[in-house]
Amino acid sequence: MKDISALLEAIKAQPFRDIVISSPHTGTVTFADIRKGDKVLGPQGQWKEKPGTLIATLERERNPKPIYAAEKGELTSIHTELQGRFVEAGTPLAVLRHPLTRAEVESMLLRQALHLFLAPERAKYYFTPDVDKKIRASDAHSVLVREGMELLIMSRMKREVPLLYTGPAGIIYAVYFKYNENIDAGAPLLGVCPQDQLPTIQEVIMRVQTEWTEKD
Amino acid sequence: MVEKTQGLVPVNKHRILVANRGEIAMRIMRACHKLGCSFTAIYTAEDTASGHVRLAREMGGKNSLFRVSSYHDANELMAVADATGCTAVHPGYGFFAEDFRFARRVTKRDRQLIFIGPSWKIIRELGDKINTKRLARSLDVPTVPGSDRPIYDELEAERIAKTVFAFQEQQGIDHPLVLVKASAGGGGMGIEEVYDPDQFRSVYRRIRNYALRQFKDEGVLIEQRITDFNHLEVQIVSDRSGRSPVHFGTRNCSIQSTGRQKRLEVAPGFAADTLTYTFDADRVLRDIVDYSLAMARKVGYDNVGTWEWIVTRKGDPFLMEVNTRIQVENGVSARISRVRGQGDIDLIAEQIRIGLGEPLGYGQADVTFDGLGIEYRIIAEDPNNNFTPWVGLIERFTWKPQPWLSVLTHVPANEPYEIPTEFDPNLALAIVWGKDLKEASARGQEFLRDLQLNGHNAAGQPLQSNVDFLKASTERILRF
Repeated sequence: MKDISALLEAIKAQPFRDIVISSPHTGTVTFADIRKGDKVLGPQGQWKEKPGTLIATLERERNPKPIYAAEKGELTSIHTELQGRFVEAGTPLAVLRHPLTRAEVESMLLRQALHLFLAPERAKYYFTPDVDKKIRASDAHSVLVREGMELLIMSRMKREVPLLYTGPAGIIYAVYFKYNENIDAGAPLLGVCPQDQLPTIQEVIMRVQTEWTEKD
Repeated sequence: MVEKTQGLVPVNKHRILVANRGEIAMRIMRACHKLGCSFTAIYTAEDTASGHVRLAREMGGKNSLFRVSSYHDANELMAVADATGCTAVHPGYGFFAEDFRFARRVTKRDRQLIFIGPSWKIIRELGDKINTKRLARSLDVPTVPGSDRPIYDELEAERIAKTVFAFQEQQGIDHPLVLVKASAGGGGMGIEEVYDPDQFRSVYRRIRNYALRQFKDEGVLIEQRITDFNHLEVQIVSDRSGRSPVHFGTRNCSIQSTGRQKRLEVAPGFAADTLTYTFDADRVLRDIVDYSLAMARKVGYDNVGTWEWIVTRKGDPFLMEVNTRIQVENGVSARISRVRGQGDIDLIAEQIRIGLGEPLGYGQADVTFDGLGIEYRIIAEDPNNNFTPWVGLIERFTWKPQPWLSVLTHVPANEPYEIPTEFDPNLALAIVWGKDLKEASARGQEFLRDLQLNGHNAAGQPLQSNVDFLKASTERILRF
């Protein structure tokens, strides 16, 4: 396992990430009342049921689509020249500097601490029906994986092949892919924790809980 | 507004939204250019390096190219069409080409557009394989025995499978087979055969789950699997009057991958002057053309379309389905066709012209055929490993130009190209012409010999392609 203390210090040295807010599809842009330097909020509420600060509205086929800040942070740039213009999909609208949360730091460290099972090809991935059923019934932590186990279905160009797990036996601690989304070759699909390392992983989480202070 | 003046607006006053990607988008753009009308092309992030993006920039001018989030999002297409002043939409093949709801929306919305394809009612009527089967049966057109609607219930599926097995046994078939296919599928995807009735349930469940994942519809069709057959097609072209459909001959698409996807197409469908068949091949071709035209007349077919047929070794034809769109392989039919003695037919340009309301302007007597055409689908895949798609970087893709050869591709000739994994790995279509089977086959082999196709994947392994498969298959063209 890598030196968690060093990793944590490296994250502390740069405790934010820049998020580019782009148009998810084509449409005519109307910016909300926002200015460079404004502090914005991400989704709020117990279940994140309240959307974040409105950044812009994209109108297409008479349907206005609000574009909210997905995380809290400070707006470092806004492409105001696009106001009232029809834009292509993927056009950058604003940049948000987001201070890292405890959960994000935890996830970053876990990616270093867990055994990562990587995507062999750029493809869509699904759990096999048996595993999927088990995860839906309880959660991913309930699935014990072992070398050679038929764990996933790899779907590429509508062709599907089973994907066998390779790596140490353990429980699925983190799932890094979503159904129907393409995952690049080499990107992590799963974080697996061998059962004898569970206490170490718990310790990583404990350190983040105690050492990381979230900024407003 | 456009629809009301349809037929009055000259073709060159239209702007066509090219609602597709890759080589078909390029063919549509070139057809628009030929007809003198403007176009707007679209692309997604994955397709930034595709030849169709480059061609749109080179050929199109202002408003000729827009990036969208997905080719599958109708709102994207309509928004771009409105923003750029398009008057019509060409769906190409795949995506929205056979989606009657999309065709209806295009023509019924406030700012109406022309759908370059059959009218939405015809797409709805013939796009439903079961309805097509019923229509065919009502006109005494032969069809394959099996279910007459998508099945969602496991017990009902088992009952139908049992009946189809029993029917084949009664007919004295030694090894009866049942085909299970995703009702919403197409292009050979989501199809499996069952040889043992006890295995039916597990295959049914597998296909049902696959169909739900890939097509969001778990409906399944069950029919007799005819094993020893040729796959033929009839190319139909008909203007908006729907009264005088014309055929552009037949094609033989029997050379396919193990997943039943077409790899090599030949026009015409048989070569009775050169090869010997166990049945009267000319009569079979005449019959399937007549049956196809009869159905086209019955429904008032009003654009291009393809009637797909199975022909058994005994020479019995069965209608499989009707594809209410332009097909990949339309070029091979065009290559052997002449209208009033003139060659260089472009069926996509014809589709656009009649789609915009122009009368066809010629009849069946004006259409003649000359020689034999072969279309090769050049694909990055491994034929030795179940035709598994190969993904990686193409570094070299060149061929020797010939007067009898045309190559359609979206792969850039002068720079490396990363194959996107989001779409089928088709690289190019090569259409070869010869005065007869012997000459066309020899030219086909010459083209494949001269072809240079190299690259490597992330692991450094060399590019896999189906070129050797195509070479070997050229030897068996049109042989039953």
